Amino acid sequence: MENVCEDEVYSTIYNANSKTLFNYIYYKFGNAEKANDAIQDAFVKLWENCQKVAPEKAKSFLYTVANNTYLNVLKAEKVRLKYATNQKEVSHESPEFLMEEKEYQQKLEDALNALPENQRTTFLLNRIDGKKYAEIAEMEGVSIKAIEKRMHLALKELRSKIDGI
Amino acid sequence: MEENYLAKWLSNELSPEELKAFEQTEEYQSYAKLKAVSSRLQAPEFDMEGTFAQIKAKTASDSTKVIALKPYKSFLRIAAAIALLMVGAFAYLNFSNESVATEIAETAQLTLPDASEVVLNADSKVIYDEKDWDLQRNIILEGEAFFKVAKGKTFTVSTALGKVQVLGTQFNVEARKDFFEVSCYEGLVSVTFNNTTQKLPAGASLLFIRGKRMERAVSNLEPSWLNRESSFERVPLQFVINELERQFKIDVSLKNVDTEVLFTGSFNNTDLETALKSISTPSKLKFKVSGDNVLFYAEDTP
Repeated sequence: MENVCEDEVYSTIYNANSKTLFNYIYYKFGNAEKANDAIQDAFVKLWENCQKVAPEKAKSFLYTVANNTYLNVLKAEKVRLKYATNQKEVSHESPEFLMEEKEYQQKLEDALNALPENQRTTFLLNRIDGKKYAEIAEMEGVSIKAIEKRMHLALKELRSKIDGI
Repeated sequence: MEENYLAKWLSNELSPEELKAFEQTEEYQSYAKLKAVSSRLQAPEFDMEGTFAQIKAKTASDSTKVIALKPYKSFLRIAAAIALLMVGAFAYLNFSNESVATEIAETAQLTLPDASEVVLNADSKVIYDEKDWDLQRNIILEGEAFFKVAKGKTFTVSTALGKVQVLGTQFNVEARKDFFEVSCYEGLVSVTFNNTTQKLPAGASLLFIRGKRMERAVSNLEPSWLNRESSFERVPLQFVINELERQFKIDVSLKNVDTEVLFTGSFNNTDLETALKSISTPSKLKFKVSGDNVLFYAEDTP
């Protein structure tokens, strides 16, 4: 029986989950430093409880702990997220086009910041991390249907904010 | 169009007919652009190796501790039980009960053994059995608290007025004298009051004032007091004043004030002056502050 206390199992869990967990908390907080602290806490807690947490439960354990850390500092921060954009695909375009793109991205960024936290997290986990709704549902501890609803509302809200409707 | 069709479109789950119909709509181009641009967004850099090194540094001291303690595990358990017994003899009737309480103007957060979260509002108390938590998730509440319950066995909140049962969800319970309110923010909760049980879905709130039942909608994602704001909807003024006395260290006295008037509005839990104005202005009252005493009186009082 594999055990989380074994270094190899622990590293595998870390490698498989740390990046997405970091992003997940970042989408909620909008603060990379705090997100990093939160995931460190989560992994330290996982180590402390490695006897009790089965490897297949480690992922949901990590999300629960990180989520709780998020809840504890939630009130302290005003969300202000910044997103890098992969510019490679548009770099050969005309200056006017690039200008428009830049404006559009600014609008998108503002609209994302204004979204309710759970809609933003769902939207970005899907768009940036390519997570399926079922997987996001597991992370958030809600049904797939609830995630679809959040996604639907997020798209509607983003579109109306960006188009100014 | 199908429910949540935008989500289905994004994950390529629309049927060919539905997709065609959606592509005909005038907003389609906007959504297509949103889909394309958002796919190019990136999260900030994450230093995976560096972070792992930091975690390792933090756990290094812990891991030696774990190994060293192993042979004494049963001894420690006995020692812990004795320690608890001794504490228990002084403090508790039942030695395995944990209790957390808040004073006036204070809030507190605690994490239960299953990682469920509880946030206590002012002048409130919870008692639970930490040792048997795995067997039964029972918590006794006096006052008001917000619960974020981890999935698992039935989670029961017992109060002097009524009982709330859930499996895993987010909800707020307020049990004060003559006042019992349960608001559900996620999932489904079961509320028992006067031997009647009712299911309460997310976005709904059930309130009993002096036994009188009221149902209303909850529009927020969490109770306002988590953001240091106490809000009320058609609640007799008496209960608003009771809450004010819990959020600030003050004694309120009243002169010519009808405490049965229904109050709708909110007050800030951090600034007394603002809070007093938030209550007095819509109620057409005046107030006077002297030290810890606040007097509300009717505007036309001589």
